[in-house]
Amino acid sequence: MAGWRTQQRGHASVPVVFSGGGLRPRRRPAALWAAVVGVMVTVALIGACVGREEHSGVVMEPVTLAAAATAPAAAGGPGTLLDSTLAKVQDAARDLVLPRAADTGLERRPLAEPAMQAMLPKLGQAEARLIAIYQRISQGQHRQALAEADALVRDHPNFHLAHLVHGDLLSVQVRPVSQIGDVPDTKARAALEQLQVLREESRRRLRALTERPPEGYVPTQFLTLSPQSRHAIAIDASRSRLYLFENLTPAHASGALASTPRLRLLADFYISVGLQGIEKQVEGDKRTPLGVYYITSSLNPKSLPDLYGVGALPINYPNPLDVQRGKTGSGIWLHGTPSDQFVRAPQASDGCVVLSNPDLERLLATVQVRTTPVVIAPELHWLRPETLDAERRQFEQTLQSWRDAKVQGDLQQLQGFYSSRFLSQGRNLSQWWPRLEAEVRGNSNGTRGLELKDLSLLQWRDDQDTMVVTFGEVALGQSRGVTKRQYWARENDQWKIFFEGNP
Amino acid sequence: MQPSVKSLSLMPASWRLLALAVAVSAALSAPLARAQTEDYAEVNRLMRAGQMSEALSKADQFLAGKPRDPQMRFLKGVIQTETGKPADAIATFTKLTEDFPELPEPYNNLAVLYAGQSQFDKARAALEMAIRTNPSYATAHENLGDVYAKLASQAYSKALQLDAGNAGVAPKLSLIRNLFAADAKGVRPTTVAAATAPAPAPAASTRPATATAPAVTPAQPAAPAPAAGAAQDEVEAAVLAWAKAWSSKNMQGYLGAYAQGFTPPGGQSRKDWEADRRARIVPRNRIDVTISDLNVSVNGDRATARFRQGYSSDNLNVTSRKTLELVKSGSRWLILRESTGA
Repeated sequence: MAGWRTQQRGHASVPVVFSGGGLRPRRRPAALWAAVVGVMVTVALIGACVGREEHSGVVMEPVTLAAAATAPAAAGGPGTLLDSTLAKVQDAARDLVLPRAADTGLERRPLAEPAMQAMLPKLGQAEARLIAIYQRISQGQHRQALAEADALVRDHPNFHLAHLVHGDLLSVQVRPVSQIGDVPDTKARAALEQLQVLREESRRRLRALTERPPEGYVPTQFLTLSPQSRHAIAIDASRSRLYLFENLTPAHASGALASTPRLRLLADFYISVGLQGIEKQVEGDKRTPLGVYYITSSLNPKSLPDLYGVGALPINYPNPLDVQRGKTGSGIWLHGTPSDQFVRAPQASDGCVVLSNPDLERLLATVQVRTTPVVIAPELHWLRPETLDAERRQFEQTLQSWRDAKVQGDLQQLQGFYSSRFLSQGRNLSQWWPRLEAEVRGNSNGTRGLELKDLSLLQWRDDQDTMVVTFGEVALGQSRGVTKRQYWARENDQWKIFFEGNP
Repeated sequence: MQPSVKSLSLMPASWRLLALAVAVSAALSAPLARAQTEDYAEVNRLMRAGQMSEALSKADQFLAGKPRDPQMRFLKGVIQTETGKPADAIATFTKLTEDFPELPEPYNNLAVLYAGQSQFDKARAALEMAIRTNPSYATAHENLGDVYAKLASQAYSKALQLDAGNAGVAPKLSLIRNLFAADAKGVRPTTVAAATAPAPAPAASTRPATATAPAVTPAQPAAPAPAAGAAQDEVEAAVLAWAKAWSSKNMQGYLGAYAQGFTPPGGQSRKDWEADRRARIVPRNRIDVTISDLNVSVNGDRATARFRQGYSSDNLNVTSRKTLELVKSGSRWLILRESTGA
């Protein structure tokens, strides 16, 4: 009964309601302020962690939860670890003595820097919006971040990470959020794996977005790239990242066969690799192969099951190096995402590289079949292309020597360029040799020269140095020739051909 | 936005009238205002008595003469809400928000209705409007907190691809029963969804500090049977232990205070109810539950504990009347039923 009478009373006490003397009127501003304080404390606390990580280079721990989580409590306010994760990233960029992240050649940048804004157009649209939300959070603009997250999940209802961040932003309106994906225990227990996967996706995206290749830098694999390849792709598995380049390398200048590569970064996307990670060895191991590949075709999406999304670009796994090493399996594609998911977990496929459908559409609309190289590396290392001038010239000379031997018909010298492990189309060197001999005779009889053009050199280093060499071989005086691809391996400091064929 | 003199000039004529009526009725001097007040009181009385159809016809009768009257339209919306006509109630409150966009209460009640239909995005939008209208509107803040929590839970379910089927119960939002009531907490928990629930319990004042005169404290339960002192002490101890477990977020102790045969509110399953309680209790940094005015009556192996419960947590501070029905199980008294209100 009390309530009723109180309300009757209240009926006559309008001024009380409207006077602003409400019960908890200033709660929200206070919470916001406390959050800001919390973040500042956390930033200070986290500085140390960043310094440590520098040496490990590769692995950034999923945020030092224990340490960071206590900080906001100490500050007495609901500081959020979401904030501090971002603060940490920013902090990393601000305070580092070394401007480069470990030895990858990447440049650390805070999320809020203007340069970062310039990066946004390079990202898939949905990711750019997610990152903009992270930026808002890092600036303490939770309301605005929430509004943007509302819109993002409305437009991409299958973007699970966006839902997670959306959930955090809704939660932070009523309670402190202590980490990315601060879900209630019951839910966390019900889907622990999925939660960890989403946090990992977030971590990898952030990492790729705050460690950027400096303008003009190229991955080390690209020694030179023929203008025939109008685009190129490089994948950094450690960052779950695919980089798409436009090849602006000029047609070779007079005299020089191999030009310094000029690659312009067009876009970079989050990708997933095999469920078991990378370094594919055998069929069915659910790993993504590492190496230098080319796109071999583009599959008609209408003929593909939903699992592959809007399309698929198969690559030439196993390549001659893989075959040489006895690797098995096939059907490694770059493909899209099933309709119920926006992206897949960082490790999710049977070995394919999986992109979101909008990102794959961008690839499909951009790249060319057969001429677009796809480098898949455990971690990419970036450098100024001029740094590789010496190596490039050195290999170019080796290749010229091979050509000279072929033109001169010096079979013995020519044979010196071929590895005893040679294997092409199932033939070993002695089975292959008659064919080469015939070719040489055909060429050198008329003492015609051989011109090499449109040279691409893609190097691959693991426990052996391999060079994937693609070029046009044109008899002098002819306008057309054949495109050849060779695989060279460095054996006892000598480059030797172990595969030769047409791409 | 607060109705100050400055904004008065911008108000529509009807709103000015309303403001006038309120001012006058506050002074309790004008016969007209008094007559109106009596009409509101009569409708309220009928509602309290559960005579909803009478209350509705009385309200309609009044509105025939004063179709724009916000207070009576508001009451009509409440009646429609409580008689399980959410579509009509939504129409009534929506129209009120259109005619009197300055009033936060209709927005709040719209949100309650939307939440009852699991339309949490709409509920959120309405509550955000209520708060934009009156930034210090505590009930709307609390309701919004619950809606945010619910939306967050849904977002997490989507993120984690958890079955939406176990998305749990709708948050229990507070319905405002009266325009221009002091910012009373509505009755928590009044589920709009549970249309079959008995007539909603009256609101408890949110502000113990407010001069809620002893005269208006709920009537003590009529003559509690004098129980055996020992049993009474046991029940009191059980209630205090329950409050302590709750305060210390000792979920085992808290949930263990409920009997096997406990009836969760709103027809929830025990499992869902427990999950719901965990979700509400575990994430809080701080919970403080206090018991006062504890009154226990024992009848054999059954007992009823009535008390005033003070609950305060990270973001909520409520006092309400609570009744626990307990059953003796072995040597322990366990909770069979829990209800809020007098």
